[in-house]
Amino acid sequence: MQKVSCPNCGAEVTFRSPALPSRICDYCHTILVRSGGGIEQVGKAAVLPFDVSPIQIGTAGTFDGRDFTVVGRVRWGWTDGSWNEWLVLFGDGSDGWLGEAMGQFMLTKERPLGDVQSDPTIRAIILGERVPIGTEAQVDGETFIVSDAREATCLAAEGELPFTAITGTTIYSIDFRSTTGALASLQREKTLSSFYQGRYVTLAELRPRHLRAIDGWPMPAYGT
Amino acid sequence: MTGGTAALEMEAPPARPPAPSVKALSCPSCGGTINLKAAGYTVTVACQYCGSILDVASPEVRLITEYHQAAAELEIPLGTRGTLRDVEWEAIGFVRRSEHGAYPWVEYLLFNPYHGYRWLITNGRGWSFGEMLTRAPDWGHSGPALDGESYEPFFVDGQAQVDYVVGEFYWRVQVGEEAATDDYVRPGFMLSREANDKEVSWTISALLKPAEIEQAFGVRAPRDPWPPLPHQPSPYRGVMKVGARIALIAVGVMFLLTLLMSGGPSLFEGYVPVELDRRAQNVTAGPIEATRPYQLISIEAWAPNLENGWIDLDYALVNRATQESYEAYGVAERYSGRDSDGAWSEGSRGATTKLAAVPRGTYDLVVEYTGNGWTDAAYGSYSQGSTLNIRVTRASVFPSNFVIALILILLPLIWFWWKHLKFEQARQDESDVGRTGMAKVFTGTDEEED
Repeated sequence: MQKVSCPNCGAEVTFRSPALPSRICDYCHTILVRSGGGIEQVGKAAVLPFDVSPIQIGTAGTFDGRDFTVVGRVRWGWTDGSWNEWLVLFGDGSDGWLGEAMGQFMLTKERPLGDVQSDPTIRAIILGERVPIGTEAQVDGETFIVSDAREATCLAAEGELPFTAITGTTIYSIDFRSTTGALASLQREKTLSSFYQGRYVTLAELRPRHLRAIDGWPMPAYGT
Repeated sequence: MTGGTAALEMEAPPARPPAPSVKALSCPSCGGTINLKAAGYTVTVACQYCGSILDVASPEVRLITEYHQAAAELEIPLGTRGTLRDVEWEAIGFVRRSEHGAYPWVEYLLFNPYHGYRWLITNGRGWSFGEMLTRAPDWGHSGPALDGESYEPFFVDGQAQVDYVVGEFYWRVQVGEEAATDDYVRPGFMLSREANDKEVSWTISALLKPAEIEQAFGVRAPRDPWPPLPHQPSPYRGVMKVGARIALIAVGVMFLLTLLMSGGPSLFEGYVPVELDRRAQNVTAGPIEATRPYQLISIEAWAPNLENGWIDLDYALVNRATQESYEAYGVAERYSGRDSDGAWSEGSRGATTKLAAVPRGTYDLVVEYTGNGWTDAAYGSYSQGSTLNIRVTRASVFPSNFVIALILILLPLIWFWWKHLKFEQARQDESDVGRTGMAKVFTGTDEEED
């Protein structure tokens, strides 16, 4: 854990994981990036639009027997809505994304492209092609089907992140679903692609603690 | 905490006041204040005041379609909260749909920030509680299967259109929007598939009991809609299951009793000569030991050589200790002769008399017997005498009793089965697939469906 002062406003900012180079100041929303020994300012993040998400930075839980804490978030928007990707940090220092859309949750972890790019569909997307909904891809012998493909824009971000989430950055995002409830997504920003794989989860199964309190709604006692 | 979770060593988030649950917007068409309940999720709002369709996907609210219509009066006004299956839900959206104008039904979108979205669906005859699935069902031999339960096709190749909307929605809802639908059922549940050119979604809905929906949202639902709802469980199924179990036990017990009580041990056997001379005679047979707390005593009398005569039999079973007496009467008779049709005979040379519920004790059987001869020209001559055999047994339930009991036990079962069959036929007649299984097998030729 590293604590520094925000070079812009002077507020204390904490870097919890050495693997997460990017941090958005909680007070002035300046995007800070650690490089070498110093802290660099790379712009300002937009203020997050209000939502009634039950998740917040600091929400902790358990996924497949491993404890995690939510340390960051990116909010993505597209023509027909927006969704949250919460960055979760596991005890071993690895991270994953808790996606939140349409009141449902998905937990995915990044996989090296080398694991998956032998599939022609995935390789085509990485190389810059667009694929229609319904296209199939094989990952580890399992069939995944493209269920959605869209341009998404970074609306805002907060906390710690593995990349610099500049507001307004546009990516091409493809969602895959398998028939067993497994899911994957491929996100391409210019020529850089990342592949994430995971499954749907329920809030209850994550046994979350420190959920966000929302006025007038009783908070479920999952973590106890 | 273990060492491996050191990276998670972080303070709990600072206690903050609860986040507000609503975000206020003003309708760009009528200026009315709209309190957004699912801020961050909601994409489309149909203004509750003027009906205009608004795009709230981005911070600046955009007017998509302007309307100036008063909102429909809803059975569950939007904003109403209710607790269903232990979770509190708020009705935030309402959609009226139909099959191109026919068979209208309505869907309420329910929301809870910690539990996401659910649906309340009704066609006015019953309410269902729906949840969108995050995976596709497996495919069985006749339909989809979910969590090991298989579903039968009910409505196939439907086309559902949106006729009216009000409230807020997490997708771009549009009046006139169409989806291809298929519905599959098992008792109590419906599994629905909806597909448009972009996506396929599956929803599982549970039929709510009228009391459940009434307690949750204060709306009344018919108790016994007829014809039954597609996923309405037959009310006779449970009764039949319990009934069949009881009947099986009852029949088993009866069968066992009959076995135990039939052909009981002989308590006394003897014989006396009898003349058909109209003279009353007495004979005392005993001792007869009745060893059970209570028993059915059977007295069989049989005169093998009796011809054209009858023997009146008056029995008195007398307890040796208490002198208590159980009395009964019997007659053995036999007639025969010859007429224009030839030889004939009637009557029985034997008589079985039963004494029920005789208590334990040592008894004597006093038999007063009177032999009578019949003299008539049409008859043959009567026999001069016979041997009267008497046998006393601890005897059995009449087998006819067994048959009557069996019918009594099975009658209600057959009745319930019949009601069940009629229920299933009426239910399946609403289906696009028609009757299947038993409901089809037992369809009479005169009531073939249209």
